[in-house]
Amino acid sequence: MAAPHGANAHDSGALPAINPVIGGKDVESRDRSELTALDGTPLVSVGLAPRLLAQAALNRLRGGADAPAPPAELFAAAGELFATAELNGESPEEYRRRVVLATGTPGAAITRAIEGIHTQLGIIERINGAETPAPYETRGYRTVMVPRGRILAAIVPNNHPEPNVTWVRALAMGARVVVRPGSKDPFTPRRLVAALLAAGLDPDTVAFLPGGHDVGEHLLQQADLGLVYGGPDAAARFAHRGDVLVRGPGRSKVLVGPGAETDKELLDDLVQWISEDGGVRCNNISLVLTSGPVAALADALAERLADLPVRPVLDELATLPATSPANGEALAGHLTGLTAGARDHSTHRYGGSVLADPGDGTTVLRPLVVSVDRADHALAGTELGFPFIVVAPWQPSDGTRPLRESLVVSLPGDHAGLAGAVLREPSVRKVVTGRVKPWAGVPETPHDGSLAQFLLEPKGLVTAEFEG
Amino acid sequence: MTELVNDVLGADDPNAVSKHLREMMRWHFDPATGSPFWLRKAPGLGFDPLTDIVEIADLRRFPDVSGELRTVPVEDLVPEGSAGNSFDVFESGGTVGAPKRVVDSESRGQNVEWVSEVLTDHGFPSQGHWLHVGPTGPHVVGRTVRHLAQLRGSMCFTLDFDPRWVKRLIGSGRPELAAEYREYLLDQIELVVNSQNIKVLFITPPVLEAVCARPALYDALGASLEGILWAGTSISPESLHQIEETFFPRARVAAIYGNTLMGIAPQRVREAGDSHPAVFRPYFPQSIVELLHPETGEPVEYGERGQVLVHQLSKDMFLPNVLERDTAIRVRPAKGDHIDGLADIGPLTTKDAPAVIEGVY
Repeated sequence: MAAPHGANAHDSGALPAINPVIGGKDVESRDRSELTALDGTPLVSVGLAPRLLAQAALNRLRGGADAPAPPAELFAAAGELFATAELNGESPEEYRRRVVLATGTPGAAITRAIEGIHTQLGIIERINGAETPAPYETRGYRTVMVPRGRILAAIVPNNHPEPNVTWVRALAMGARVVVRPGSKDPFTPRRLVAALLAAGLDPDTVAFLPGGHDVGEHLLQQADLGLVYGGPDAAARFAHRGDVLVRGPGRSKVLVGPGAETDKELLDDLVQWISEDGGVRCNNISLVLTSGPVAALADALAERLADLPVRPVLDELATLPATSPANGEALAGHLTGLTAGARDHSTHRYGGSVLADPGDGTTVLRPLVVSVDRADHALAGTELGFPFIVVAPWQPSDGTRPLRESLVVSLPGDHAGLAGAVLREPSVRKVVTGRVKPWAGVPETPHDGSLAQFLLEPKGLVTAEFEG
Repeated sequence: MTELVNDVLGADDPNAVSKHLREMMRWHFDPATGSPFWLRKAPGLGFDPLTDIVEIADLRRFPDVSGELRTVPVEDLVPEGSAGNSFDVFESGGTVGAPKRVVDSESRGQNVEWVSEVLTDHGFPSQGHWLHVGPTGPHVVGRTVRHLAQLRGSMCFTLDFDPRWVKRLIGSGRPELAAEYREYLLDQIELVVNSQNIKVLFITPPVLEAVCARPALYDALGASLEGILWAGTSISPESLHQIEETFFPRARVAAIYGNTLMGIAPQRVREAGDSHPAVFRPYFPQSIVELLHPETGEPVEYGERGQVLVHQLSKDMFLPNVLERDTAIRVRPAKGDHIDGLADIGPLTTKDAPAVIEGVY
């Protein structure tokens, strides 16, 4: 998103507008930025919330009357509206189109995300309940779980719509939420806010504030609690803040054994875990460790991944993400330096460049598989917004060390026996041993820790007449 | 000369401008009245300021000597003709290396008197205490704001505000300390506001934002302020709107643009049809501001952004052809005026190449 430029405030003409929402109403900000599609076409005029408008929103939320958490039915209704209704003149199809063209995440991923959000809002009580087992209660004595701050600031990402469910869950737990969307996907949180308001949410419990980093910083400073999706820098910056829950890099990994390089079914699974949703998920596999031959596995993966078709991202059959031609060129240059110490198994299959032209003015990013000779190579753990995979050797003597710092560790075969030890690694968030996607789960199993544990705290409520 | 300077409408008279130029050249380049600094330079200029400088465009024949202000002994800057007057020395921000120094006796005071009239046009109160939340010490703005308050029958509270220290903290990657310094400023403000009835506040936008985020302090100032004068950094249109309409609806809000070398250009009163919320008007012809295309050096058209070129033509200081790092939009003169306005001041920037972001977010 470009810097705010007041002079062009009224130049946006017929472009649809997305504005900050405070107290349930659009605030037509004078600070505006044009959000363009990857092909350079203007998509929407975004009204930005400078710090003072963010402060006004916080003041409004703080001044709101006390109320219990909204009922589960409200969220179910909002999920239904999100997936099916025209909201602010935006149909679900138009929403999908905007997100795809602004972020480059392939259309099928957004289609799945719409349904995923629909489903999760429909079972929000079950999801939240799984994190808050029935508190202690006996006659006259109860433990009550309540938010440990009134206002949560949520800094949400662009890569995928589903992380937005987290702040909606916070609303369902009784928090008030200020949302700062990512610069490329203001659409998802704006649409969620519209759906929630239409379903009857108290307008003074949520605010939507598009803006830059400074606004995010201000919100994290002024709100009681914060939720931040961010890369390594953000993760490092907020790691020490007990009032901020950081959802950092995924760095999801798989560990396979000898024979994986010829196991067609496993290779098909790996390709899916690496590339589904365009590889933009934080739980897409980005590091493949093997106790078998490294180069052979890397070649086998590169060969299969090279079969993924280059299609315009709006195409429901597209599986690869896109970016703007300028960003693509910058990325290509960056990759050259980044992978200088690794063996490239992919680029020669594409005639020399991972950049491909699908003919719609965007640049599609084709998968890049590189191999390195050590599990602790500097490239291991590198995560990029397209299918970028590092294959590295693993030996039993390495133990769980190379599997640390992972949102998901997948152990689909020979090394499933490590599951317990990997799970005990503090920096690993989830372990998968079966032939299921790294993001497989039921609502009761955590994906990345517990929102309730961060947001809520137990308090005693004693109504007994006399001491027992 | 004084009559001309104070006669805003006279500015459209080319003869009046020429007369001012002529008087300034005579003053600064006559051995009886000029400063040692300029008298030493005169022979090497390659032209005769007394005869060759007849219109504003001719000022561009002078070299930009502002870099020398970092090292020149200040007594060399004092015009011989004013040698009996008392002088002050002021310094620029000093972000990069040594600050630039200027001297002043009366000229800036004339600029300030005019700014006070403009504040009256804005509806600023004519009495009540001021609080200056800005630099003092070597920075001219401290004297300016105190002078403004006194002109308006007021006393001016000040605090210790060291912008160079803040810039050093930010420049050395210590934003947390800079934020702590801002809180320290708020503590100082609070100590004044707790017992004194402050009617007018001079403040920079970032500190004003911080005031709005400290509830007790904001409540007190929101109730007492009748005027807010802001300067120092740019502000977005929506931020200004929030200050005027949401946070301080009772106060008149105006800005000044200026710096050590050019003097003060106050915000002019808004007119119907203005496309910018704050349009600044220089103190012509003591301060002459041109907006130039950064590459061609030609003046930009109305509505276009140009780099700020300043000529300071006062009796106390002659500083032609100073190219600033600021840019501004060139705005047509207000009704009844003939001097261009400046709007949406911002730093000179170059276009960034797209950055590669690691990670999926």
